[in-house]
Amino acid sequence: MTAVLPWVTLAVCLAITIARVPSLIRGENRVVFYIFALITLDILLSIEGPYLAIDALLGGINVTNLILRFLLYGTFLLMGIKIAMGFGSQSAVRAIRGPWGLTVLGFTVALTIFFFVITDTRGSTVGMTGLTWGPSMEAYAALGRFYPGYVSACLLPAIWRTIVGRYPALLRGASALLFLGLALLLISQFFPLIPLVHLWLRSLINYSAVLATAIGLAGIWFSKAYSRRKRRLSA
Amino acid sequence: MPLQSKAFQRWLHGVAPDASTADVCRIAGIKRTTLAQQLVRGKVAESTLVSISRGFHLNPVEALSTFDLYSDLRGAAVPPTGCELVSQIATIDLLRSVVERSEPGSAPAASLSEPPHPTSVRNWVDAIDDGELRHRVSDATGIAPQNFSAHLTANRLPPELAIATSRAGGVGPAGGLVAGGLITEAEAGWPPNARREALDRMSQSELVTLAGERLLALGKTLRRQEQDHERTERIWENLG
Repeated sequence: MTAVLPWVTLAVCLAITIARVPSLIRGENRVVFYIFALITLDILLSIEGPYLAIDALLGGINVTNLILRFLLYGTFLLMGIKIAMGFGSQSAVRAIRGPWGLTVLGFTVALTIFFFVITDTRGSTVGMTGLTWGPSMEAYAALGRFYPGYVSACLLPAIWRTIVGRYPALLRGASALLFLGLALLLISQFFPLIPLVHLWLRSLINYSAVLATAIGLAGIWFSKAYSRRKRRLSA
Repeated sequence: MPLQSKAFQRWLHGVAPDASTADVCRIAGIKRTTLAQQLVRGKVAESTLVSISRGFHLNPVEALSTFDLYSDLRGAAVPPTGCELVSQIATIDLLRSVVERSEPGSAPAASLSEPPHPTSVRNWVDAIDDGELRHRVSDATGIAPQNFSAHLTANRLPPELAIATSRAGGVGPAGGLVAGGLITEAEAGWPPNARREALDRMSQSELVTLAGERLLALGKTLRRQEQDHERTERIWENLG
Protein backbone atom coordinates (compact mmCIF):
# COMPACT_ATOMS: atom_id res chain seq x y z
CA MET A 1 0.00 0.00 0.00
CA THR A 2 2.81 2.40 0.82
CA ALA A 3 4.08 1.89 -2.74
CA VAL A 4 0.79 3.07 -4.22
CA LEU A 5 0.11 5.88 -1.77
CA PRO A 6 2.67 8.35 -3.24
CA TRP A 7 1.26 7.92 -6.73
CA VAL A 8 -2.30 8.27 -5.50
CA THR A 9 -1.30 11.43 -3.67
CA LEU A 10 0.44 12.75 -6.78
CA ALA A 11 -2.61 11.99 -8.94
CA VAL A 12 -4.96 13.72 -6.50
CA CYS A 13 -2.79 16.83 -6.18
CA LEU A 14 -2.24 17.00 -9.92
CA ALA A 15 -5.98 16.69 -10.57
CA ILE A 16 -6.73 19.52 -8.13
CA THR A 17 -4.00 21.68 -9.68
CA ILE A 18 -5.41 21.13 -13.17
CA ALA A 19 -8.90 21.87 -11.89
CA ARG A 20 -7.59 25.23 -10.65
CA VAL A 21 -6.32 26.25 -14.10
CA PRO A 22 -9.57 27.95 -15.22
CA SER A 23 -9.57 30.05 -12.02
CA LEU A 24 -5.92 30.88 -12.65
CA ILE A 25 -6.74 32.12 -16.14
CA ARG A 26 -9.64 34.18 -14.80
CA GLY A 27 -7.24 35.62 -12.26
CA GLU A 28 -9.16 34.34 -9.22
CA ASN A 29 -7.00 33.67 -6.21
CA ARG A 30 -3.88 32.77 -8.15
CA VAL A 31 -2.00 31.95 -4.95
CA VAL A 32 -4.24 28.93 -4.37
CA PHE A 33 -3.16 27.57 -7.74
CA TYR A 34 0.49 28.14 -6.84
CA ILE A 35 -0.04 26.32 -3.54
CA PHE A 36 -1.49 23.26 -5.26
CA ALA A 37 1.17 23.37 -7.99
CA LEU A 38 3.87 23.50 -5.31
CA ILE A 39 2.32 20.61 -3.38
CA THR A 40 2.22 18.57 -6.59
CA LEU A 41 5.85 19.37 -7.31
CA ASP A 42 6.80 18.47 -3.72
CA ILE A 43 5.16 15.08 -4.12
CA LEU A 44 6.74 14.51 -7.52
CA LEU A 45 10.18 15.07 -6.04
CA SER A 46 9.40 12.70 -3.16
CA ILE A 47 8.78 9.76 -5.47
CA GLU A 48 11.69 7.54 -6.37
CA GLY A 49 11.51 7.54 -10.19
CA PRO A 50 11.26 11.30 -10.79
CA TYR A 51 13.65 12.01 -7.92
CA LEU A 52 16.44 9.79 -9.27
CA ALA A 53 15.98 11.13 -12.79
CA ILE A 54 16.25 14.75 -11.72
CA ASP A 55 19.03 14.15 -9.21
CA ALA A 56 21.07 12.39 -11.87
CA LEU A 57 20.97 15.62 -13.88
CA LEU A 58 22.06 17.61 -10.83
CA GLY A 59 25.15 15.56 -10.07
CA GLY A 60 23.75 12.68 -8.05
CA ILE A 61 24.60 14.15 -4.65
CA ASN A 62 20.98 14.61 -3.53
CA VAL A 63 20.88 18.34 -4.28
CA THR A 64 17.33 17.57 -5.40
CA ASN A 65 16.49 16.80 -1.79
CA LEU A 66 17.77 20.22 -0.76
CA ILE A 67 15.65 21.81 -3.50
CA LEU A 68 12.69 19.79 -2.24
CA ARG A 69 13.22 21.24 1.25
CA PHE A 70 13.15 24.79 -0.12
CA LEU A 71 10.06 24.05 -2.14
CA LEU A 72 8.40 22.65 0.98
CA TYR A 73 9.31 25.74 3.00
CA GLY A 74 7.88 27.91 0.23
CA THR A 75 4.73 25.83 0.08
CA PHE A 76 4.17 26.18 3.80
CA LEU A 77 4.99 29.87 3.84
CA LEU A 78 2.40 30.57 1.12
CA MET A 79 -0.17 28.15 2.48
CA GLY A 80 0.34 29.36 6.04
CA ILE A 81 -0.21 33.00 5.14
CA LYS A 82 -3.32 32.25 3.07
CA ILE A 83 -4.89 29.93 5.63
CA ALA A 84 -4.11 32.28 8.52
CA MET A 85 -5.66 35.19 6.64
CA GLY A 86 -8.66 33.14 5.56
CA PHE A 87 -9.37 31.76 9.00
CA GLY A 88 -8.99 35.24 10.43
CA SER A 89 -6.14 34.60 12.83
CA GLN A 90 -4.07 37.77 13.12
CA SER A 91 -1.68 36.09 15.55
CA ALA A 92 -1.04 33.26 13.08
CA VAL A 93 -0.44 35.75 10.26
CA ARG A 94 2.12 37.54 12.47
CA ALA A 95 3.72 34.26 13.58
CA ILE A 96 4.24 33.21 9.96
CA ARG A 97 4.77 36.41 7.99
CA GLY A 98 5.83 38.79 10.75
CA PRO A 99 9.46 39.42 11.76
CA TRP A 100 9.47 36.46 14.13
CA GLY A 101 8.05 34.10 11.51
CA LEU A 102 10.52 35.21 8.85
CA THR A 103 13.38 34.85 11.35
CA VAL A 104 12.28 31.28 12.05
CA LEU A 105 12.18 30.60 8.32
CA GLY A 106 15.58 32.26 7.78
CA PHE A 107 17.23 30.18 10.49
CA THR A 108 15.61 27.02 9.17
CA VAL A 109 16.89 27.69 5.65
CA ALA A 110 20.38 28.60 6.84
CA LEU A 111 20.66 25.55 9.09
CA THR A 112 19.26 23.30 6.38
CA ILE A 113 21.99 24.44 4.00
CA PHE A 114 24.61 24.12 6.72
CA PHE A 115 23.73 20.54 7.61
CA PHE A 116 23.43 19.59 3.96
CA VAL A 117 26.90 20.89 3.24
CA ILE A 118 28.62 19.19 6.17
CA THR A 119 26.98 15.84 5.42
CA ASP A 120 28.36 13.43 2.88
CA THR A 121 25.40 13.19 0.56
CA ARG A 122 26.89 11.25 -2.32
CA GLY A 123 24.73 8.45 -3.66
CA SER A 124 21.36 9.51 -4.94
CA THR A 125 18.46 7.94 -2.98
CA VAL A 126 15.00 9.32 -2.49
CA GLY A 127 14.48 10.68 1.01
CA MET A 128 18.24 10.09 1.39
CA THR A 129 17.34 6.85 3.12
CA GLY A 130 20.25 5.02 1.47
CA LEU A 131 22.88 7.19 3.16
CA THR A 132 24.59 6.59 6.45
CA TRP A 133 22.62 8.58 9.01
CA GLY A 134 24.85 10.52 11.35
CA PRO A 135 23.81 13.33 13.70
CA SER A 136 24.11 15.96 10.96
CA MET A 137 21.80 13.95 8.74
CA GLU A 138 19.28 13.64 11.59
CA ALA A 139 19.42 17.38 12.13
CA TYR A 140 18.90 18.00 8.42
CA ALA A 141 15.83 15.75 8.37
CA ALA A 142 14.45 17.25 11.58
CA LEU A 143 14.69 20.76 10.10
CA GLY A 144 12.72 19.60 7.10
CA ARG A 145 9.95 18.48 9.42
CA PHE A 146 10.26 21.45 11.74
CA TYR A 147 9.11 24.32 9.55
CA PRO A 148 5.92 22.62 8.26
CA GLY A 149 5.23 21.63 11.87
CA TYR A 150 5.78 25.20 13.03
CA VAL A 151 3.36 26.61 10.46
CA SER A 152 0.82 23.88 11.30
CA ALA A 153 1.00 24.69 15.00
CA CYS A 154 0.28 28.34 14.20
CA LEU A 155 -2.78 27.44 12.12
CA LEU A 156 -4.44 24.67 14.10
CA PRO A 157 -6.25 26.81 16.73
CA ALA A 158 -7.98 29.00 14.12
CA ILE A 159 -8.96 25.98 12.02
CA TRP A 160 -10.33 24.26 15.11
CA ARG A 161 -12.53 27.27 15.88
CA THR A 162 -13.98 26.96 12.39
CA ILE A 163 -14.68 23.25 12.80
CA VAL A 164 -16.68 23.81 15.99
CA GLY A 165 -18.18 27.17 14.90
CA ARG A 166 -21.35 28.08 13.05
CA TYR A 167 -20.30 27.59 9.44
CA PRO A 168 -21.70 25.68 6.46
CA ALA A 169 -21.39 21.93 6.98
CA LEU A 170 -19.21 21.40 3.91
CA LEU A 171 -16.82 24.13 5.00
CA ARG A 172 -16.56 22.59 8.46
CA GLY A 173 -15.91 19.16 6.98
CA ALA A 174 -13.19 20.53 4.70
CA SER A 175 -11.65 22.40 7.64
CA ALA A 176 -11.64 19.17 9.64
CA LEU A 177 -9.66 17.45 6.86
CA LEU A 178 -7.24 20.35 6.73
CA PHE A 179 -6.91 20.14 10.50
CA LEU A 180 -6.19 16.43 10.30
CA GLY A 181 -3.51 16.95 7.65
CA LEU A 182 -1.73 19.67 9.57
CA ALA A 183 -2.03 17.76 12.85
CA LEU A 184 -0.29 14.79 11.21
CA LEU A 185 2.58 17.12 10.33
CA LEU A 186 2.86 17.98 14.01
CA ILE A 187 2.91 14.29 14.86
CA SER A 188 5.68 13.81 12.31
CA GLN A 189 7.98 15.77 14.64
CA PHE A 190 8.23 12.54 16.61
CA PHE A 191 9.52 10.49 13.70
CA PRO A 192 12.88 9.76 15.34
CA LEU A 193 10.94 7.76 17.94
CA ILE A 194 9.66 5.41 15.25
CA PRO A 195 12.08 2.50 14.77
CA LEU A 196 13.69 2.37 11.34
CA VAL A 197 12.09 -0.99 10.59
CA HIS A 198 8.77 0.86 10.54
CA LEU A 199 9.76 3.34 7.85
CA TRP A 200 6.46 2.63 6.10
CA LEU A 201 4.68 4.29 9.02
CA ARG A 202 6.57 7.52 8.37
CA SER A 203 5.62 7.58 4.74
CA LEU A 204 2.03 6.64 5.60
CA ILE A 205 1.82 9.63 7.96
CA ASN A 206 3.51 11.97 5.46
CA TYR A 207 1.34 11.10 2.49
CA SER A 208 -1.85 10.99 4.55
CA ALA A 209 -0.96 14.46 5.79
CA VAL A 210 -0.52 15.76 2.24
CA LEU A 211 -3.69 14.07 1.02
CA ALA A 212 -5.81 15.39 3.89
CA THR A 213 -4.37 18.89 3.53
CA ALA A 214 -4.83 19.01 -0.25
CA ILE A 215 -8.34 17.54 -0.19
CA GLY A 216 -9.26 19.80 2.72
CA LEU A 217 -8.09 22.91 0.83
CA ALA A 218 -9.89 21.76 -2.30
CA GLY A 219 -12.94 21.07 -0.14
CA ILE A 220 -13.01 24.69 1.02
CA TRP A 221 -12.97 25.75 -2.60
CA PHE A 222 -15.70 23.20 -3.37
CA SER A 223 -17.85 24.41 -0.46
CA LYS A 224 -17.67 27.92 -1.90
CA ALA A 225 -18.65 26.79 -5.39
CA TYR A 226 -21.44 24.66 -3.95
CA SER A 227 -22.87 27.50 -1.89
CA ARG A 228 -22.69 29.91 -4.85
CA ARG A 229 -24.49 27.44 -7.08
CA LYS A 230 -27.16 26.79 -4.48
CA ARG A 231 -27.72 30.51 -4.07
CA ARG A 232 -27.97 30.98 -7.84
CA LEU A 233 -30.48 28.17 -8.16
CA SER A 234 -32.62 29.46 -5.30
CA ALA A 235 -32.50 33.02 -6.62
CA MET B 1 -36.41 9.16 23.08
CA PRO B 2 -38.90 8.51 20.29
CA LEU B 3 -41.63 5.88 20.40
CA GLN B 4 -40.78 2.20 20.74
CA SER B 5 -41.52 0.50 17.45
CA LYS B 6 -43.37 -2.36 19.16
CA ALA B 7 -45.81 -0.02 20.85
CA PHE B 8 -46.08 1.97 17.67
CA GLN B 9 -47.01 -1.09 15.64
CA ARG B 10 -49.61 -2.05 18.21
CA TRP B 11 -51.07 1.45 17.90
CA LEU B 12 -50.95 1.35 14.10
CA HIS B 13 -52.73 -1.99 14.10
CA GLY B 14 -55.47 -0.49 16.24
CA VAL B 15 -55.79 2.52 13.94
CA ALA B 16 -55.61 0.81 10.57
CA PRO B 17 -55.86 -2.93 11.01
CA ASP B 18 -56.15 -3.69 7.29
CA ALA B 19 -53.86 -1.07 5.76
CA SER B 20 -50.53 -2.21 4.36
CA THR B 21 -47.39 -0.24 5.15
CA ALA B 22 -47.49 1.19 1.63
CA ASP B 23 -51.07 2.40 2.17
CA VAL B 24 -50.20 3.95 5.50
CA CYS B 25 -47.27 5.83 4.00
CA ARG B 26 -49.31 7.04 1.05
CA ILE B 27 -52.17 8.24 3.24
CA ALA B 28 -49.81 9.88 5.72
CA GLY B 29 -47.62 11.39 3.02
CA ILE B 30 -44.39 9.97 4.40
CA LYS B 31 -41.63 8.05 2.64
CA ARG B 32 -41.74 4.29 2.94
CA THR B 33 -38.00 4.14 3.44
CA THR B 34 -38.25 6.60 6.32
CA LEU B 35 -40.84 4.55 8.15
CA ALA B 36 -39.05 1.26 7.41
CA GLN B 37 -35.80 2.71 8.74
CA GLN B 38 -37.45 3.96 11.91
CA LEU B 39 -39.12 0.59 12.49
CA VAL B 40 -35.86 -1.29 11.96
CA ARG B 41 -34.06 0.97 14.41
CA GLY B 42 -36.83 0.29 16.91
CA LYS B 43 -37.61 3.97 17.37
CA VAL B 44 -40.35 5.78 15.53
CA ALA B 45 -40.30 9.56 15.43
CA GLU B 46 -43.25 11.37 16.96
CA SER B 47 -43.62 13.35 13.73
CA THR B 48 -44.27 10.07 11.88
CA LEU B 49 -47.07 9.23 14.31
CA VAL B 50 -48.50 12.72 13.89
CA SER B 51 -48.47 12.46 10.07
CA ILE B 52 -50.19 9.08 10.18
CA SER B 53 -52.81 10.32 12.68
CA ARG B 54 -53.58 13.28 10.42
CA GLY B 55 -53.83 10.94 7.41
CA PHE B 56 -56.41 8.86 9.23
CA HIS B 57 -58.24 11.93 10.59
CA LEU B 58 -57.31 11.25 14.17
CA ASN B 59 -56.26 13.87 16.68
CA PRO B 60 -52.45 13.53 16.94
CA VAL B 61 -52.52 14.60 20.59
CA GLU B 62 -54.88 11.76 21.47
CA ALA B 63 -52.77 9.38 19.42
CA LEU B 64 -49.62 10.45 21.25
CA SER B 65 -51.35 10.19 24.61
CA THR B 66 -51.82 6.44 24.16
CA PHE B 67 -48.07 6.05 24.65
CA ASP B 68 -46.83 5.99 28.23
CA LEU B 69 -44.20 8.66 27.54
CA TYR B 70 -46.99 11.02 26.59
CA SER B 71 -49.51 10.09 29.26
CA ASP B 72 -49.48 13.75 30.33
CA LEU B 73 -51.54 14.47 27.23
CA ARG B 74 -54.44 12.28 28.39
CA GLY B 75 -57.68 13.89 29.49
CA ALA B 76 -59.18 17.23 28.62
CA ALA B 77 -56.88 19.79 27.01
CA VAL B 78 -55.47 22.32 29.47
CA PRO B 79 -56.14 25.82 28.12
CA PRO B 80 -52.99 27.79 27.28
CA THR B 81 -51.98 30.77 29.41
CA GLY B 82 -52.04 34.27 27.98
CA CYS B 83 -48.26 34.43 27.91
CA GLU B 84 -48.05 31.17 25.99
CA LEU B 85 -50.55 32.43 23.43
CA VAL B 86 -48.69 35.69 22.91
CA SER B 87 -45.36 33.83 22.67
CA GLN B 88 -46.69 32.02 19.62
CA ILE B 89 -47.42 35.22 17.72
CA ALA B 90 -44.73 35.94 15.13
CA THR B 91 -42.64 39.06 15.71
CA ILE B 92 -43.78 40.53 12.42
CA ASP B 93 -47.43 40.10 13.52
CA LEU B 94 -46.65 41.86 16.80
CA LEU B 95 -45.09 44.74 14.87
CA ARG B 96 -48.10 44.91 12.58
CA SER B 97 -50.30 45.10 15.63
CA VAL B 98 -48.21 47.97 17.01
CA VAL B 99 -48.72 49.84 13.73
CA GLU B 100 -52.44 49.06 13.65
CA ARG B 101 -52.92 50.40 17.15
CA SER B 102 -50.84 53.52 16.53
CA GLU B 103 -52.70 54.38 13.35
CA PRO B 104 -56.20 53.02 13.89
CA GLY B 105 -58.19 52.39 10.73
CA SER B 106 -55.16 52.45 8.47
CA ALA B 107 -55.51 48.79 7.59
CA PRO B 108 -57.75 45.91 8.65
CA ALA B 109 -56.25 43.65 11.29
CA ALA B 110 -54.35 40.97 9.40
CA SER B 111 -54.78 37.37 10.45
CA LEU B 112 -51.94 35.99 12.56
CA SER B 113 -49.61 33.49 10.92
CA GLU B 114 -49.74 29.94 12.29
CA PRO B 115 -47.14 28.82 14.79
CA PRO B 116 -44.37 27.90 14.80
CA HIS B 117 -42.58 31.12 13.89
CA PRO B 118 -38.78 31.49 13.68
CA THR B 119 -38.29 32.02 17.41
CA SER B 120 -41.29 30.06 18.71
CA VAL B 121 -39.38 27.74 20.97
CA ARG B 122 -37.34 30.35 22.78
CA ASN B 123 -40.33 32.66 23.14
CA TRP B 124 -42.47 29.89 24.55
CA VAL B 125 -39.81 28.82 27.07
CA ASP B 126 -39.25 32.46 28.07
CA ALA B 127 -43.01 32.90 28.45
CA ILE B 128 -43.35 30.10 31.00
CA ASP B 129 -39.97 30.62 32.69
CA ASP B 130 -40.09 31.84 36.28
CA GLY B 131 -36.30 32.05 36.38
CA GLU B 132 -35.72 28.51 37.63
CA LEU B 133 -37.36 26.61 34.77
CA ARG B 134 -34.16 25.56 33.03
CA HIS B 135 -32.77 24.14 36.27
CA ARG B 136 -35.89 22.13 36.88
CA VAL B 137 -35.93 20.81 33.32
CA SER B 138 -32.31 19.81 33.50
CA ASP B 139 -32.84 18.15 36.91
CA ALA B 140 -35.87 16.27 35.64
CA THR B 141 -34.49 15.11 32.30
CA GLY B 142 -30.74 15.19 32.81
CA ILE B 143 -30.26 17.44 29.77
CA ALA B 144 -27.23 19.71 30.12
CA PRO B 145 -28.20 23.41 30.26
CA GLN B 146 -26.04 24.24 27.24
CA ASN B 147 -27.79 21.55 25.18
CA PHE B 148 -31.15 22.95 26.19
CA SER B 149 -29.94 26.40 25.12
CA ALA B 150 -28.75 24.97 21.80
CA HIS B 151 -32.26 23.67 21.15
CA LEU B 152 -33.72 27.09 21.84
CA THR B 153 -31.24 28.78 19.52
CA ALA B 154 -31.96 26.27 16.76
CA ASN B 155 -35.71 26.75 17.37
CA ARG B 156 -36.08 23.01 17.95
CA LEU B 157 -37.87 21.27 20.76
CA PRO B 158 -37.83 17.48 20.81
CA PRO B 159 -41.35 16.35 21.86
CA GLU B 160 -40.21 14.57 24.99
CA LEU B 161 -38.32 17.66 26.12
CA ALA B 162 -41.36 19.78 25.30
CA ILE B 163 -43.48 17.66 27.66
CA ALA B 164 -40.87 17.82 30.41
CA THR B 165 -40.61 21.59 29.99
CA SER B 166 -44.36 22.15 30.21
CA ARG B 167 -44.47 19.95 33.28
CA ALA B 168 -41.64 21.94 34.89
CA GLY B 169 -43.35 25.17 33.88
CA GLY B 170 -46.70 24.10 35.31
CA VAL B 171 -48.57 24.72 32.06
CA GLY B 172 -50.64 22.52 29.75
CA PRO B 173 -48.65 19.66 28.21
CA ALA B 174 -49.37 20.48 24.56
CA GLY B 175 -47.99 24.04 24.44
CA GLY B 176 -44.40 22.97 23.83
CA LEU B 177 -45.50 20.66 21.04
CA VAL B 178 -47.15 23.62 19.31
CA ALA B 179 -44.06 25.80 19.75
CA GLY B 180 -41.85 22.98 18.48
CA GLY B 181 -44.04 22.67 15.40
CA LEU B 182 -45.10 19.07 16.00
CA ILE B 183 -48.81 19.85 16.22
CA THR B 184 -51.00 22.80 15.28
CA GLU B 185 -52.69 25.03 17.84
CA ALA B 186 -56.07 23.58 16.84
CA GLU B 187 -54.81 20.04 17.48
CA ALA B 188 -53.61 21.19 20.88
CA GLY B 189 -57.13 22.35 21.63
CA TRP B 190 -56.36 26.05 21.59
CA PRO B 191 -59.49 28.04 20.65
CA PRO B 192 -59.22 29.44 17.09
CA ASN B 193 -59.08 33.08 18.11
CA ALA B 194 -57.20 32.63 21.35
CA ARG B 195 -53.96 34.22 20.17
CA ARG B 196 -55.73 37.20 18.63
CA GLU B 197 -57.74 37.72 21.81
CA ALA B 198 -54.65 37.47 24.00
CA LEU B 199 -52.98 40.04 21.76
CA ASP B 200 -55.96 42.38 21.95
CA ARG B 201 -55.98 42.09 25.74
CA MET B 202 -52.44 43.45 25.93
CA SER B 203 -52.15 47.12 26.81
CA GLN B 204 -50.29 49.40 24.44
CA SER B 205 -47.29 49.55 26.74
CA GLU B 206 -47.12 45.76 27.16
CA LEU B 207 -47.35 45.27 23.42
CA VAL B 208 -44.69 47.85 22.58
CA THR B 209 -42.35 46.55 25.27
CA LEU B 210 -42.73 42.98 24.06
CA ALA B 211 -42.22 44.02 20.43
CA GLY B 212 -39.11 45.90 21.54
CA GLU B 213 -37.72 42.85 23.33
CA ARG B 214 -38.37 40.70 20.29
CA LEU B 215 -36.67 43.24 18.01
CA LEU B 216 -33.68 43.43 20.32
CA ALA B 217 -33.30 39.66 20.27
CA LEU B 218 -33.77 39.60 16.51
CA GLY B 219 -31.10 42.25 16.13
CA LYS B 220 -28.65 40.15 18.13
CA THR B 221 -29.39 37.07 16.05
CA LEU B 222 -29.01 38.97 12.81
CA ARG B 223 -25.74 40.50 13.92
CA ARG B 224 -24.38 37.07 14.80
CA GLN B 225 -25.49 35.70 11.44
CA GLU B 226 -23.86 38.60 9.65
CA GLN B 227 -20.60 38.00 11.53
CA ASP B 228 -20.71 34.29 10.70
CA HIS B 229 -21.37 35.17 7.11
CA GLU B 230 -18.46 37.59 7.00
CA ARG B 231 -16.09 35.00 8.48
CA THR B 232 -17.23 32.39 5.98
CA GLU B 233 -16.78 34.81 3.12
CA ARG B 234 -13.27 35.66 4.31
CA ILE B 235 -12.27 32.00 4.24
CA TRP B 236 -13.68 31.61 0.74
CA GLU B 237 -12.12 34.83 -0.45
CA ASN B 238 -8.67 33.65 0.60
CA LEU B 239 -8.86 29.95 -0.14
CA GLY B 240 -11.75 29.45 -2.54
